[in-house]
Amino acid sequence: MSQIVLEEISGGNAYSVQELMTTTLAHYLHDGEMVGTGAGSALARAACRLAQLTHAPNLSYVAGGSGAINSELAPLVASSGDYTNLICEAVVPMGDWVGSLSRGGFDTYIATGLQIDKYGNVNLSLLGDQAKSSLRGPGGGVLAMLTATKRIIYFFPNHSPHIFVPKVDFRTAPGFLDGSTSWLKAKADGLYAGSGPALVISNLGVMDFEPETKTMRLIAVHPGVTLQQLQTATGFELVIPPKGAYTSVPTQHELEVLREMDENGLLR
Amino acid sequence: MSQANGSTPPTQGNSAPNAKTNEAQGPIRQSKQMELAAAIEKFVPDGVESLAVGGLFMHNNPMALVRELIRQRKHIKRLITSPAGCINADLLIGAGLVDEIVTSYVGFEHLGSAPAFVRFAQAGRLKVLEVDELTLLLGLRAGGAGQPFAALPPGIELSDVSRANPDFYQPVHDPFTGATRLATPAIRPKVALILCQQADIYGNAIFKGSVFADRELIFAAEQVILQVEQVIPTRQLTKNPIPVNVPGYAVSAVVQAAFSAHPTSSHRFYHYDEAHLQEYIQAAATEAGFEAYVQKYFAEGGETEYIGRTSVIEG
Repeated sequence: MSQIVLEEISGGNAYSVQELMTTTLAHYLHDGEMVGTGAGSALARAACRLAQLTHAPNLSYVAGGSGAINSELAPLVASSGDYTNLICEAVVPMGDWVGSLSRGGFDTYIATGLQIDKYGNVNLSLLGDQAKSSLRGPGGGVLAMLTATKRIIYFFPNHSPHIFVPKVDFRTAPGFLDGSTSWLKAKADGLYAGSGPALVISNLGVMDFEPETKTMRLIAVHPGVTLQQLQTATGFELVIPPKGAYTSVPTQHELEVLREMDENGLLR
Repeated sequence: MSQANGSTPPTQGNSAPNAKTNEAQGPIRQSKQMELAAAIEKFVPDGVESLAVGGLFMHNNPMALVRELIRQRKHIKRLITSPAGCINADLLIGAGLVDEIVTSYVGFEHLGSAPAFVRFAQAGRLKVLEVDELTLLLGLRAGGAGQPFAALPPGIELSDVSRANPDFYQPVHDPFTGATRLATPAIRPKVALILCQQADIYGNAIFKGSVFADRELIFAAEQVILQVEQVIPTRQLTKNPIPVNVPGYAVSAVVQAAFSAHPTSSHRFYHYDEAHLQEYIQAAATEAGFEAYVQKYFAEGGETEYIGRTSVIEG
């Protein structure tokens, strides 16, 4: 195991892991971005709204299948297709916003999956052999069409070696394919307009992809999590930078804003 | 004799043999409102080549129509879902009525996976033709516009979704740039079952909340059966037709079945019944459990009885 120097960032508010994942995700969303969210993504929707209310007033986002643009999350609900999401600025039919996504009209898309591998390929289709799938997944939704999106951010609430695997059984969402060479070729062939997976936020830490090799790299571990713990929960060798950090904890203000929308306690 | 070139105004002798007339008011327009069982009997042949179900996740599923398909044991060769199928697809699969499914997702979102879909797919009893959402939507739009196929944006070649499903992804030559792209065939469901909240008796209808991908399904399908919460007077629509987002010409039948999107939501009318969905997910994990669920709730009687049974608070 590589050595890592952890620098703790101060803060003493009590928060849940999901709230920490939400505020962390919000920190990585930029002002002015157009962001997409999908199935079962209360956490992603909350992060978008939190970003709007803290540092990114010009960010816009779509609440998945409901087609709601800039939902006020009044309150935050579990389903992306819920009518409650329609307290918002505009409602766009699915075919329209999925089209925008596919033409590269979104800066960021936030998603999750059944498996992710060291090159950021994600599986939401099936586990095991394709001919006789040992576990049938729900299906990929828009995941196969994210290559035009500038950044893909993944969240995984259950970081484990069954989920963080060396190679996905089925590549629903193309990440950096088989690594740098294959990805550069896909870009040269005009098949990959976006920049691929940018970030992976789990219940244990935050990862990105090392620019040269395009393999997953640790950025920060969550407070209370050890490097050993995170590496053990990962089914492949992560790139470990010489100097690491702890994830910034939510501020009191962030928690207040978040809990005001999350009156049902979905993230608690 | 009558000339059908449109230049001669029709005379009384040329009027269609079925058109009823009323001396005082002129010809009477035919209502498309039907009883549930009659609509399914008339528009869904047993062994239907393809049938589409609307709604998204646990919202706006046309469940009265779906339950009636099961009561009448209508076999479906190819089931097509919106980009996210849920209990609408899962019930038909669990009843053993579906050979293959075209979908980009079947599941219960935050509540879990679709039990019958998973069970049948894993046992090899259901062929899953997975497509991504855009491919499904563009295939339906092509179907709605009479195109033979739709060209897909570059990038999907890199996903195993396209590699695993040659029926829906084939290379095509782009005559304008010379590039090779993927194309997907037009989707034209023989019948689409759609839930929306209000319609008049002629099928002019309003989605009170999200339309999801239901308008794509409506315009692509050959026959459309609408399940609605309320049938409203046409006069109520003509005063403000802008929110009317389904024209009657695209609709074959209107079935009123209040509260019958249950256990899914009907946007702006009622929320989904999470406890019932959880009960279903648990029950349908096994064949016996699925059968017991069907017997308990809707094998006997119609939708009125179903609503009565599901409204009972146990305990």
